[in-house]
Order: sequence, then structure tokens, then C-alpha cells
Amino acid sequence: MPATDHLVADEESRSIDIFLYGNMIRHMARAATTSDAFNAIAEPNRRAILTLLRGNERPVADVAGALGLQQPAASKHLKVLREVGLVYARRAGRQKLYGLDARGLEPVHIWTGGFEKFWSESFDRLDEYVKELQREEQSDEETG
Amino acid sequence: MKKLASTLTDSAREIVVSRLIDGPQELVFEAFTDPAHLSNWYGPEGFSITTHSFELRPGGVWDFTMHGPDGTDYPNWIVFLEIAPPERIAYRHSETRDDPEPFFSTVNIASRGDRTEVTLRSVFETKEQREKVVQYGAVEGGEQTLGRLAEFVTALIGKGS
Repeated sequence: MPATDHLVADEESRSIDIFLYGNMIRHMARAATTSDAFNAIAEPNRRAILTLLRGNERPVADVAGALGLQQPAASKHLKVLREVGLVYARRAGRQKLYGLDARGLEPVHIWTGGFEKFWSESFDRLDEYVKELQREEQSDEETG
Repeated sequence: MKKLASTLTDSAREIVVSRLIDGPQELVFEAFTDPAHLSNWYGPEGFSITTHSFELRPGGVWDFTMHGPDGTDYPNWIVFLEIAPPERIAYRHSETRDDPEPFFSTVNIASRGDRTEVTLRSVFETKEQREKVVQYGAVEGGEQTLGRLAEFVTALIGKGS
């Protein structure tokens, strides 16, 4: 039934919203399960690696070349990214290829999404509220 | 007009969000600093707050509980660090008084004629990260953001935001 489907979808998105806010409010500073991914992507070279790997799996030499890094430095970054589940490695013949595991970003996505949503909605409410205060001020002046 | 940019800097988890509010600067500042006003807008749709205490001065505390629409209660403890009417409020935000890992936020409230641009900058660091900064004496605040974190993440996981 279309009406029921709509209701279920609304409830589901509502409970996702609540989960986002609850998760975000509870874990804003610590983000216990997400701090590793956060710390990993706080580094710009690692962000660049993730962007690079989004297109294709690459061997470490390619990663180093693309970023202008020495190979040991690139390996170190790849190791950090693997440890937090953002990158995987697999053997293809004699080559070792690195690839992006976007599932590792899910906690970050949820966290930033929650924070943005919190403030986006708060600012929506602030905007409405400030307009209402001005309307009340104006009508006070008119009747006063 | 909506403008919401969530960005990440290199030195710490920092998020910046801003919005143009349809009202004058003094009124917006008042909305941020009067608990009666705050109850009417702070938090997402469907959430409400109960203020237990509120003292607007450096070192003063806003102790409040946020109530979720599903009945969950979230304790909040805000300590004001700086209050510069009508343009800036800086505070430390945690769940409780003794929370070892608060985060720090600054709200800038800038006049744009009849409107006001509100910018919130929140810095999330673990205690280890803060101690590291002190130890090495370096603050990497010179490096600016490299782009929108949310967009970065969205591009990687291939979902619409």
C-alpha cells in the first residue's frame, strides 16, 4: 500500500536521524569506534591516497609516484590506512595491489553527517525563531 | 540562505559550519546567550532541552539535558571560555563536568546588514593529541582546510549526500 510504504520510510528515516544524533552527541569528542578512521584521514597524503585508489587498485610504486613520495613513506601511509580498514591489499600474480575499502569511511560519514545535521537543523530553527522574535517586536510596537 | 560547510583541517578534527540568519546581530547574539531563547531553537527537530543551570560569564556553566524524541536523555555540560558581545562566544562542551575529552567551539556572530552570519568552529582532539601539541610546541594551524570533509567522504563512498 503506498500510504503504508510512505509511513514506514518516514519512520525508518526518523530512526536513522535519531541514531545519527544520539551517536553524534554521545561520541562527539571521543568517537571511540571512529577515532582511528578519523586520525587516518586527518593526514592530507592519506586523503590523496584514498582519492587515488577510488579509481583503481594500484601497486605501492604507483601510489608513491602519484603523490611524489618515496616508497617507504607511501608504504607507511598505506599501512595506517589498512589498519583502520580504509584500504585492502591483494596479490595479483607477482604484484601486490592496494584498493579502497569505502566501508571504512562509513563511521566518518555517519559522524560528520550527524554533526552537520545537528547544526543545519538548529540553524533552521534559529532562523525561524529570530524571524518570529522580530515579528513579535514589530506587533508590540504597533499595539504599544 | 543556506551555507553549510563542514571541513577538516590537518592538525585536528575541526568542523566549521556557517549560516546566514535572517535577523540582526544583537538579536542573534541574544538568542545564543539566553537559556529561554536557546530552548526554542538549539538542537535538531523533535529534540527539547531542560536547563539545570546557566551562568553567562567566563568560567560559567550551562548545564542542560537534551531530550530525544524517543525518550533518550543526553547530558550536556558547557563551560563558557570567552564572551564578547555581540560577536563571539567560545566554550568547552562535554557530557559532564569531569569528562576528560571535551571539545572546544567558537561561535562567531557577524553583522551582514539586516542579516547575520553565524559561524561555528568546533575542534575535536583527544587528550593525547592535545598533549602532543604542547610537547612539540607546534600548532599546525597555518594549514587550512583542503576541502569539504563531507564531500570527500561522499565522493569516495559514491553516495549522494
